[in-house]
Formats: sequence, structure tokens, C-alpha cells
Amino acid sequence: MTATTSSASATHWRERFHRWLSEVFDQPASVRGAAVLRIVLGPCVIWHLRPFLADALDGITYHDRFQQPWWAWYPNAPEGLYVALLWIGVAAAVLMTVGWWSRPASWAAFAVVAYNLFLSQTHFHHNRALLVILLAGVALCDNGRALSLDALRRPPPDDRALVWPIWLLRFEAAVVYFASGFSKLIDPDWVGGRVLHDRTVRYQHEVRDALGDTLADPVLEVVTARAFHWVLSPAAVATELFIAFGLWFRRTRLVAVWVAVAFHVGIEVTSHVQVFSVIAIGALALWAVPSTRDRTLVTPSRWVGWLDWMARFDITVAPGASWCMVDRDGTVLEGREARQFVRTRLPATFLFSRFWRYR
Amino acid sequence: MVVAQLALVANGYRDAHNYFAFQPFNESSTYAVELVRVLDDGQRVAVPNGRWEGYDWNELIGWGPLRSPWRQRHAFSGVDAVVDFLDHALDWMADNTPGDTETRYWEATVTYYRNARGPNVTVIRSHDRELGGP
Repeated sequence: MTATTSSASATHWRERFHRWLSEVFDQPASVRGAAVLRIVLGPCVIWHLRPFLADALDGITYHDRFQQPWWAWYPNAPEGLYVALLWIGVAAAVLMTVGWWSRPASWAAFAVVAYNLFLSQTHFHHNRALLVILLAGVALCDNGRALSLDALRRPPPDDRALVWPIWLLRFEAAVVYFASGFSKLIDPDWVGGRVLHDRTVRYQHEVRDALGDTLADPVLEVVTARAFHWVLSPAAVATELFIAFGLWFRRTRLVAVWVAVAFHVGIEVTSHVQVFSVIAIGALALWAVPSTRDRTLVTPSRWVGWLDWMARFDITVAPGASWCMVDRDGTVLEGREARQFVRTRLPATFLFSRFWRYR
Repeated sequence: MVVAQLALVANGYRDAHNYFAFQPFNESSTYAVELVRVLDDGQRVAVPNGRWEGYDWNELIGWGPLRSPWRQRHAFSGVDAVVDFLDHALDWMADNTPGDTETRYWEATVTYYRNARGPNVTVIRSHDRELGGP
């Protein structure tokens, strides 16, 4: 009996695994998440290249300063070519954002950013590493099939393509949270609060500068207390690990995305992490279920269409009609319930949907 | 790619720079450096504010984490990463200051506090320079 049960269970898991493999590698699905990320990455590439370009405009390149090559064989571009490459990167970033020659532009932006990163170890930052990885993943995906000028000029039959690069990017995004959280979890100085406490004490003058003495005094009294960091540091570690795992499961995904957005906003407010916060939040679009227009919606208002960037709904706008939504499983919601459900599925409103108490 | 990424994450526990291992804000360490030029006759010459023989340390280094190291600085990516970069920076300085005809080698005495514990001291130096020219 036990042998039969375990054999059935093994067969069940084997089938699920094969289904998953087929879903990842064989079945086309919506690449809209990658398209959203492409749009976000374009300005981030320009933001990232800005200091290199500013130096170049002053006649300074990496040739003129301390550099630590990664590999002796890595080709060094002459100064003129290097500056030209930076501008090509900017042009590619603009094309990425508007989605004109989306895929070649993504590859070009990836090539420039990666080349620049690997010119010198002094160019390395974790946010730049993530930027290179995300650019590679987006370029691997046929990301111009949605939200692009390419799709407007030559409309594809649908927004579906192979999505294994999206799965790869999901893995990379989760690894970033996991690696960061786990390394801190096993570091007693970190999880015990010593690292964050010392940083807070050292940079408390910045809090005072930003808030002024009247506001800063009570804030600093709390955040420079050692006991505060006995709570904050483990909470920060738990947050990163929760995001790393929570994003994978449908039941926890929405909460994980919400926590991730709050986490990145918090980091951006307290630290300067270059493009990290923006690209990490942009990468959350990859976790949307890669299917589109598989819920039908009748609505009297046009705003849903404007805000439905992930194409969650097949929308019919009928002035005067009441809201009616049919979910993937056939469930029908009407009126207020339908409206609240729609809010939970739109990128601009889903973060606040919990406050609207959709059940 | 998955295996390579996992290998890089594991390598981060060995590599001072933890490249592609995603361990940001890993330390809250600080460091300060006493920079000296050691001349051919063994004389040790301080480098006030990083200026000597018409050169400027900050201008040549240009990279934030190693600028003005004579002041107490946050150790970007941790003490081990900074000391490693500083070691390479001394060599680079030795190779890229042809107008300096006196310095035999550079020496840096690094005083650091790892996560507020210390002080600890380590001394690093550049390779010897050829003086006098052909």
C-alpha cells in the first residue's frame, strides 16, 4: 500500500515536473513582463552611463585613472572608440524604452554596459551586476512583441514567445535577495545588529541635515539605540529571505511584491544605491503570470484600459453598463466586487488593493 | 547560467570582493591610510593631502572608495576589498607617475576598524620603481 502510494506520488511529481519543463522551454507565453522591464531598463542604462559620459565630456576616461583590469586579455578600447561606445549605449537605451528595434537595442545596451563593467574591477557594483544580468535576460527574450513601437509598426499576432529567459531572470532576481539575506543571516555582526547600528551612528549627521534638529532628535534617539537594531537587522534579513521565496508561490506573491517595493523604497531613502532600487522594482514585473487577456471585463470606464499595462483583461467599455468580470476559472464578479478585483490586478493600483479589502 | 550564478554566490564567501555574489552592505568597517613615498636612499616622505611632485592622489585615483584615504573612510565592500584595491592602486601609482623621479616605492599603513572593532593595522607597499631612466 505504502509502496503504491509513494509510487503514485513520484509519478505525480514527475508529471508536474515535465509539465513545468514544457511550460518553461516549449510553450509560448506572454512576454509583457519582459517588455515592461525593457522600458524600465532604458532610462536606468542612461542613468548608469551618466557619470562615465560626464567624465568623457571633461576629457577623462578610465584610461586616465586608476583601473584594475579583470583579465589581461580583455580588449581596451582607444579613448575615442570608448566614448563612442558610451553614446551608442545611450542611443540603444532610448530605443529600448520606446521599443524601436527592441531586441537589437537591448543587445546593444547589454554589450555596452557589460563591456564597461568588465573594463575595470573599480567599475563593479552589485547594482551594475544586476543591470547587466537583467539586460541580458531581456535581450534573450522577444521583448518587442508588446508595449513597443515595433508592435505598433508591425503588429504581431499576439504577445507570446518562448519565456525561458523570463524564468532565468526570475531565478536571478530571487538569487539576489537570497544571497544577500543568507550572507547576513550567517554573519553574527549583521544579524545581531552591529553593522547597521554602526552605520546609523556614523551617518546620523545626514539624518540631522535632512530632517533638521527638531525632527531629527526624537528620530535619532530611536534609530541610534542599540536595542533598535536587535530588531531591525533580523527583520531586514527575514524580509530579504521572504521576498526570495515568497515570489515563487502564487499565495505569497502579491505580499512578496508589496514587501519588495517597500523594502527598495526604504533602501533608496536611506542609502544611495544607484540604479538598484528602480531595476529591482522593474524586475518585479517578471513575476506576473505570463498570460494575457484571459479574464473578460465589461466596464463603463476607460481608465482600466489605460492602466492595464500587463493586459490582464479582455476589456469591453460600455458606457452606462455595470462592472462585470469573468475570471480564468469562470468565476463571475459583478459591481463593487468586480471593481475591487480589477484594482488588485493593475500595476498602478495593486499595491493599495489590500487597503480596499478585496476578498 | 544557473550553475554559474550559484557558483559565484558560493565564491562570494571566499572572494574579498564577492563579485556577482550579491552581498551588499556586508560590513560597516572604516579605514584610514598613512601614505609615504620611500626614496632611493630609504628616506620616508609623507604625502600631505595626497600631493607630491605635481601629482594629486585623488585626481589620479578618481574612484570614490579610495579618495582621500588619509581621512577615516567607510570601507566600500569591506576591509579586505579595500586593502586589495589599495594594494593594486599603489602599483598603478608607481607605474603611472613618470614625472616622479625620486620615489622607489609606495607604502601605505592601513589602520582599520572591522565592524567597529579595532584598531587593526596592516602595511602594504607597491613594487619597486626603476629610477633614473635610460
